[in-house]
Amino acid sequence: MKIWKRYSKREVIYGLIFASPAIIFFGAFYIFPIFRAFQISFYKWDILGTPSYTGLGNFKRLLTLGEFYQSLRASLYYAFGTAVPIWFLAMGFALAFNNKFRFNTSYLVIFYIPVVIPLIVWTILWRLMYHPSYGLLTFVTKPLGLVNIPWLTSSKLAMPSIIILSIWKGTPAYMIIYLAGLTSIPKEYIEAAQIDRATKFQTFRYIIVPLLKPVILYVVIISVIIAFQIFDPFYAMTAGGPGSTTRVVPLFVYQSAFHHLKMGIASAASIIFFSMILILSFILLKVFGFEREE
Amino acid sequence: MEKTKIILKAEQARRIKILKKILFYLLMTIGMIIVVFPTIYMFSGSLMTLGQIFSTPIRLWPSEFHFENYREVFVRFDLHRYFFNSTLVAIAVIALNVFFCPLVGYSLAKFRFPGRELLFLFILSTMMIPFDVIVIPLFLVIHRFGWVDSYQAVIIPQAMTAFGIFLMRQFIRGTPDDYIDAARIDGCKEFQIFYRIIFPLSMPAITTLVILSFVATWNSFLWPLIVLTSDAKKTLPIALARFLSLYSQEWNLLMAASVIASGPVLILFAFLNKHFIEGMSGLSGLK
Repeated sequence: MKIWKRYSKREVIYGLIFASPAIIFFGAFYIFPIFRAFQISFYKWDILGTPSYTGLGNFKRLLTLGEFYQSLRASLYYAFGTAVPIWFLAMGFALAFNNKFRFNTSYLVIFYIPVVIPLIVWTILWRLMYHPSYGLLTFVTKPLGLVNIPWLTSSKLAMPSIIILSIWKGTPAYMIIYLAGLTSIPKEYIEAAQIDRATKFQTFRYIIVPLLKPVILYVVIISVIIAFQIFDPFYAMTAGGPGSTTRVVPLFVYQSAFHHLKMGIASAASIIFFSMILILSFILLKVFGFEREE
Repeated sequence: MEKTKIILKAEQARRIKILKKILFYLLMTIGMIIVVFPTIYMFSGSLMTLGQIFSTPIRLWPSEFHFENYREVFVRFDLHRYFFNSTLVAIAVIALNVFFCPLVGYSLAKFRFPGRELLFLFILSTMMIPFDVIVIPLFLVIHRFGWVDSYQAVIIPQAMTAFGIFLMRQFIRGTPDDYIDAARIDGCKEFQIFYRIIFPLSMPAITTLVILSFVATWNSFLWPLIVLTSDAKKTLPIALARFLSLYSQEWNLLMAASVIASGPVLILFAFLNKHFIEGMSGLSGLK
């Protein structure tokens, strides 16, 4: 065996021994479940009895079921409704924080508090804040002449209300990623542009954006992927309601599997959802990957 | 004449500059208020009576502090039990991560064996898998082990993270090989090299790893919700969600419980905010 001669025996043995926990762990908790999910999606199964094979039955049922389409639509609405404003807000704040100013770090630390506190805590707090007559938000809306706003109980407002909470919590998280990218841009580039009398916008458009491309691409894609997986506020704030206007796919999967014990349907839904996320990420990659420069 | 004009112009430019500065601070402060307001409201609400919370116009600050809310939250909600559960789970997850992530990272960084890059890529690619896809089969695995409603059901699937391994591998790659070789010449066993040399040298990255795994575990919701079925085993986030549906009218207690659930992360953040922010700026898992 020629190939083995390139490696030292000691390195191969100990390398594999040290890496083996990861092989077992990711195999058992990620790779095996993925294959199982595909398998289960072809069966009708209530977890207690024996599974019966239905072929593509689960997929057919989902795709003819209005309920699942509504979930997909709710997820799309939520993910892009949250991610798109975050792209711009996070960039705005990152540019602001990239300036040197007094109390820069103190502002930054305060700004970051929403990120570290558990999402379920914010879900509780915002649910109280959204209370139509005693919620904190009436403090802002009352002077504007708006009273008794049914934030979470109107089918039109429920989703935007959760989106507002998510933007509020998500912006600082992504701002930090942009900021890390911004601080790595050499000062000379910006100074050179200023000497050439570039306006602030021109500096941003022609110096900062091209240099920040990889970071922007990362934020754009990751923010959408993560938004698609958010579960807590939908579970504890609206429970999918009113009607099923906020029953996003993760909640749909959770309810089908663990309330209605429809393992096959839930698995099929998660697989359709996964494929959709993959395709969307690919499209985003194409759109925001910008054209490759010469 | 010319001179005064120039001076006037300079004066004007200076004023615009100051005005811009004021505007900048004003906007930043408004932004900060929007961010901090819910946090402050959580603290002040936790110290109010229900009568004060449900008064019109809305009170932002209690007239006197009602610390007894905190006592009541422990007596009536058994909060100490959930706090204990969360703490136990968090400590176990951190301990496992601090052992396994550097170990695997060390192997991927310093040992040459066939398929190493493939293994690294494979570990990284698991970050792309949405949790919803694996949650059902993962539950079945845990069910098969007979672990449903046990601490290990929450702990073991979080024993390693792809990001943690990535973090450690990148850091350990920067460690000079000379240290390792010198230790080997001195007769160190392979595993001794790991815990005597690699581990201490990786402390900065391990600190980040501790923070990240603590926050992720302390805040995790969906998975504990599924596998922890009895009240005695529930972690804080799950208990909080239950309080919200059981005691939806008792806002002051809900807020006191929220303060306690946020306490450990907030205290840690107060001391290690630089580590938090640096660690998370390279992190994808920001939920």
